[in-house]
Amino acid sequence: MADFIRNPVVALPDPNPESYFSEEELIFTEDEKARIAGWVSQYPTSDGAVMWTLWLAQEKFGFLPPEVLQLVAAELSLPYAQVYGVATFYTQYFKEKKGTFVLDVCTCFSCQFCGGYDILAYLEEKLEVKRGHTSACGRYTLQEAECLGACGSAPMMQVNNGPYAHNLTPEKIDELLEAMEAGKPLPFVSVTLPQDEDEMGGNRRTDAEAVEGYITPPRSERTQ
Amino acid sequence: MTKAGNWQSYERVLLPPVENLHHLDVYRAHGGYETLKRVLKELEPQEVTAQMKRSGLRGRGGAGFPTGLKWSFMPPVKPDVPRYLCCNADESEPGTFKDRQLMEYNPHLLFEGILIACYAMSLNACYLYVRGEYASWITHLEEELAKMYNANLAGKNMLGTGHCMDIVLHKGAGAYICGEETSLMESLEGKRAYPRIKPPFPAQSGIWGYPTTINNVETLACAPLILGKGADWFAGIGAEKNPGPLLYGISGHVNRPGVYEYPTGMLITDLLEIAGGMRGSKKLKALVPGGASVPVLRADMIEGVTMDVESLREAGSMLGTAGMLFLDEDTDMVAFLRRVAHFYHHESCGQCTPCREGTGWMENLITRIDDGEGNLRDLDLLLDLCDQMEGRTVCALADAAAWPVRNTIKRFREDFERRCRPAVWAVNA
Repeated sequence: MADFIRNPVVALPDPNPESYFSEEELIFTEDEKARIAGWVSQYPTSDGAVMWTLWLAQEKFGFLPPEVLQLVAAELSLPYAQVYGVATFYTQYFKEKKGTFVLDVCTCFSCQFCGGYDILAYLEEKLEVKRGHTSACGRYTLQEAECLGACGSAPMMQVNNGPYAHNLTPEKIDELLEAMEAGKPLPFVSVTLPQDEDEMGGNRRTDAEAVEGYITPPRSERTQ
Repeated sequence: MTKAGNWQSYERVLLPPVENLHHLDVYRAHGGYETLKRVLKELEPQEVTAQMKRSGLRGRGGAGFPTGLKWSFMPPVKPDVPRYLCCNADESEPGTFKDRQLMEYNPHLLFEGILIACYAMSLNACYLYVRGEYASWITHLEEELAKMYNANLAGKNMLGTGHCMDIVLHKGAGAYICGEETSLMESLEGKRAYPRIKPPFPAQSGIWGYPTTINNVETLACAPLILGKGADWFAGIGAEKNPGPLLYGISGHVNRPGVYEYPTGMLITDLLEIAGGMRGSKKLKALVPGGASVPVLRADMIEGVTMDVESLREAGSMLGTAGMLFLDEDTDMVAFLRRVAHFYHHESCGQCTPCREGTGWMENLITRIDDGEGNLRDLDLLLDLCDQMEGRTVCALADAAAWPVRNTIKRFREDFERRCRPAVWAVNA
């Protein structure tokens, strides 16, 4: 037998991985099953509901280890390989445990040139965590995100795959982190509909008051 | 007089200045869904498509394909063969953020457009594919959709007409490639979103193999306007060959970034003025006129150029999604290209080798130049790499990655050469 078959170059997954959740935890409640059935009924086959069900599972369990993927596969009567394939294709499904707060800082070009990397560097320093990692206290995961579609209010970030925080400045981040620490609702979140457009003299988003925040240099010192 | 005509007195139609227009009752109080009712009562489906064709509307998702023509590609109705509409709200092109604005301020215009499209092509269901990052907006759309079902504006026997039209929300999970139509269909089917080879085109074999039409959010939102105010009214707005209202997403080093609605064919210089000019009174260096994948323009190339398909093609770029990124004189074009290359490397789905490997090499080479360790021949290697990638993959992501690289190097070659090691080392005497 060739050597590379006995000693594969690529690390193979553990055939008997350690389970994060106990048997009792690994169930969907009746309520959740009804929601899943609702999604399944919207598509010609149950395949279509995979993405919604994975979102539900991620909301419930926090992330998607193999045993949760098994559970989803069983619930939808799909092969495990298909569910695993979908879960690993999309970046928003977490395959490993994340912090309580997942901060996705956009650094794609609009944000890059409006100080996205400075925001990222500021957060790295403040939370004492490198991008792509979870802080030692397990509360914060800091990630560099691709374009989140809020280029008009750059730099910005997304918290826990949900609300957007626009036009970030160090002061805004301080306030945001304070609120997170205190468990209060997040300030500066633009999920409501700003309707005071006319005040701003045009049909633009209105939360761009922090234009002074843009004077950061185009590119900060690389920290990698 | 520019192509955009008298744009100073332009009245917004896609994002009208009406408070709380996102609520169903406010939308109806402003004449919402009246067009749909009239269309269902008075027009034959073919007439709707004919009106769309006459309006000259071109898709707003980036490719600029005539919408009426696309609708007419749907095969004749066969019993027991379902047909679908897909609304592409997977807006992930860097620099583009118009669809979110539309879904936030005026979601019912989109829903009305979807229902009109369903009627025109005799469809029963529309999948609205929204990118996963827009979770907050999905919740918002769900609420409004529930109100619509309560008011019998969608679903079985809608408005008592005997038609059944369902709108189903689908939440993505963060993949740029899902904005490509065939890949979006794969994703809807609950698979990894690998693009399919065309043909067969979606109109022949789309979701689950059934006839499907895919349109962008802004495109569908134009349908109620065309049917309500007339195709001639629509054709009379903006540039002749690419008419209609257009959402310009302006970002970068300008004083007032944001989404602005104006006719197509606006002068780029006018738009820059509308956005408050360059911040810090700096000079413009470069402009990306339509999202990351379109060729970048130098400041001296935008004089007299208007924002429509024809004019931008002549100028050496494309309209794309009209997501405009203005960059000032301090911008490091190497850093810009490095980030663009990183984006495409990250978002390549990995199905075709030229793209999977090519985008990675592109990023490596540009990173090397950015770090000051590049050689002059790396620039030629990059251009060669672009040749090897373009047109050799299933979808257009490889082309979209190659265009900005090729054109940024071509148009800002000096910036790149300055960062490279000299070709011949000076000999110390």
